[in-house]
Amino acid sequence: MACFTRRNFLHGAAATAALSGLASRPARASARTIRHFWWGNPERDRRTFEVIKAFQARHADIEVSGETIGWGDYWTKVATQTAGRNMPDLVQMDYRYLFEYVRRGALQPLDGFIGKSLMIGDFDKAPLEGGMVDGKLYALNIGSNSQVMVYNSRIFQEAGIDVDVLDWSYEQFAQVCEKITAKSGGKMKGSDDLSLTIDMLESFVRQNGREFYDAEGNVQATVEDTTAFWQYWADLRKAGVVRDKGKTIVLSPPLSDTGIVTGETAMGQHWSNQLVGIQALMKDEIGAGMVPKMANGRPGQFIKPSMFLSLSRDSRDVEAAMLYMNDWVSDPQITAILGIERGIPCSPRVREALKPNLKPVEVLSVNFFDAIQGKVAPVPPPPPKGAGEVRDAFMRIGTDVVLDRTKPADAASMFIEEAASIIERAR
Amino acid sequence: MKRFIARNAPGYLFLLPWFLGFFLLALGPILASLYLSFTRYDMVNAPRWIGFDNYTYMFTRDRRFWKALEVTFHYVALSVPARLIMALGVAMLLDKGLRSIGVYRAIFYLPSLLGASIAIAILWRQLFDANGVVNQTLGYFGIAGPDWLTNPDTSLYTLVILAMWQFGSPMLIFLAGLRGIPRDLYEAAEIDGTPRWRQFTRITLPLLAPVIFFNLVLQTIEAFKTFSSAFIISNGSGAPADSLLFYTVYLFNEAFKFFRMGYASALAWVLLIIIAVFTAIAFFTSKYWVHYENERD
Repeated sequence: MACFTRRNFLHGAAATAALSGLASRPARASARTIRHFWWGNPERDRRTFEVIKAFQARHADIEVSGETIGWGDYWTKVATQTAGRNMPDLVQMDYRYLFEYVRRGALQPLDGFIGKSLMIGDFDKAPLEGGMVDGKLYALNIGSNSQVMVYNSRIFQEAGIDVDVLDWSYEQFAQVCEKITAKSGGKMKGSDDLSLTIDMLESFVRQNGREFYDAEGNVQATVEDTTAFWQYWADLRKAGVVRDKGKTIVLSPPLSDTGIVTGETAMGQHWSNQLVGIQALMKDEIGAGMVPKMANGRPGQFIKPSMFLSLSRDSRDVEAAMLYMNDWVSDPQITAILGIERGIPCSPRVREALKPNLKPVEVLSVNFFDAIQGKVAPVPPPPPKGAGEVRDAFMRIGTDVVLDRTKPADAASMFIEEAASIIERAR
Repeated sequence: MKRFIARNAPGYLFLLPWFLGFFLLALGPILASLYLSFTRYDMVNAPRWIGFDNYTYMFTRDRRFWKALEVTFHYVALSVPARLIMALGVAMLLDKGLRSIGVYRAIFYLPSLLGASIAIAILWRQLFDANGVVNQTLGYFGIAGPDWLTNPDTSLYTLVILAMWQFGSPMLIFLAGLRGIPRDLYEAAEIDGTPRWRQFTRITLPLLAPVIFFNLVLQTIEAFKTFSSAFIISNGSGAPADSLLFYTVYLFNEAFKFFRMGYASALAWVLLIIIAVFTAIAFFTSKYWVHYENERD
């Protein structure tokens, strides 16, 4: 056992400080520091750190400290930082949380920078508007996005599935699940069990002609919607054609634990900007389909301005932060590194420059995006304060349905009642 | 007075660092949280005074509050006796005058040092995973184990086992207590032909009562405050189906996930009162079962 000498201690202390990001790197004599925090996956993190390197090579006086964490823990951490008035300069935002953060005064509007340090004049207007709250731009779109039913194309081919995945019904989806399960002798299930995926319920409600939240932020989804949704998945569960319930009730698993990546299922529901990340974790080639439809043929999914970059209230060097943000969305070298991993960029110039160098999976994303244009629902109204908590309640109550401890109908009325009271309390 | 100071000064001197920490660092935030518990505070806008609303909501409308209490009480009721029995058992084994007892003591104490850490919680999650070591071992005997952690009926018990495994600090205290029991009492009993079990119930337990009491109070408080293991194993949410919704996990989520600092502060004060009540009960009943050797000193 080594003695605990003072030298040892100092080494240890230095290492600890370096690990916690406290040590200033002696190689850079930079006076200005900005922090950028995003939720990520290994692929996204790799690209983002490369961007940071490229940016720093150009701006020797600015040090960018990148911080990343999985989606599951991201929002807890941002909330804590918000409370501690210690938010990073730049935070990655999601449509679902944007309004909550703006209404809490945690973000700064970007309108004053447009045309001065933020050159976004030629960007697509529709995706940009997704980042506006109360008429001001609080979040810069760094990629659009849509729901996608990801499938393993090798399994599909081997099982001889020839259904049109861009226009299929819930019955057809169930049949595909059965076919794949039967073909593999039950070893591979058709799909993840999506009972606890609230995006799927939201699409389902939309197909029934309503939005989950109306324009005033009230819960418009009904007990009937939710019952039918949970019943649909309960039937698939009973038929044994979806993933094991023990895996289903693990909430917000990392991509590497989802059924399609572990090889337990042939399908799963994801967002189109996850395609690159999923493919990076898989050998088999993946394919992309739309959310299944009901008999009325109404679209369930919409094109969502998914990921945003926002300037936080706590930013101390706004000028440096804006320099970074502008390069992020318009610089040719940096946008080339980012590619379309975070979604489809809304600068036509950037899209054009990217096209020749896309990898097959990126071509898949772009083609999927092109294919669904005009076949999707309009962007729903912004979710109200408390929407994040409603999502939690959905997963919690849904868990009892998955475990067969509550009937879909009882759980549905419990959920709708609780959702309404959460929204009420958050006002 | 002079005698009091002379007798107690060293004690207070040793307490000084704690006093300094408490008055300089802890007292302010504690009082602030009392104030916040009467407000609605989302951490960004200024707190707004709402009187007793947080407390009325908690007791009359908040179903998850009651669920959290149920889970926590269930856990305390199981884990405290389990850990104390385990600790006493091991302490008695070690009291047999083994050679190199120091090594054993260190080995048995190790889990308690590691136990509260994040790494152990993650290890626990893997052990009890559907395909984890526990189920693989059961598999050798032809038993199909349940999904321990994702089944709401079993998830709490995995945490009770974790608590039991961290018996180190009460064990050390028991060991010290056992060392303090005069050997001649056992020798006398031996000569009288008293069976081992009666020696245990008539000599060991009564003379150990003050130590048992001390451990009971400390471990109960500890158990009510359990947080990190439950937080990690339930992915921070109290899942599955709120079966791991420990009071502290609920409190944390209300504060840092849903921005209800005021409500979370109220929850914290209610927890403080609950712990105080249980400690008080232990103290009041102690005179009936705890006897100090030097009582008539």
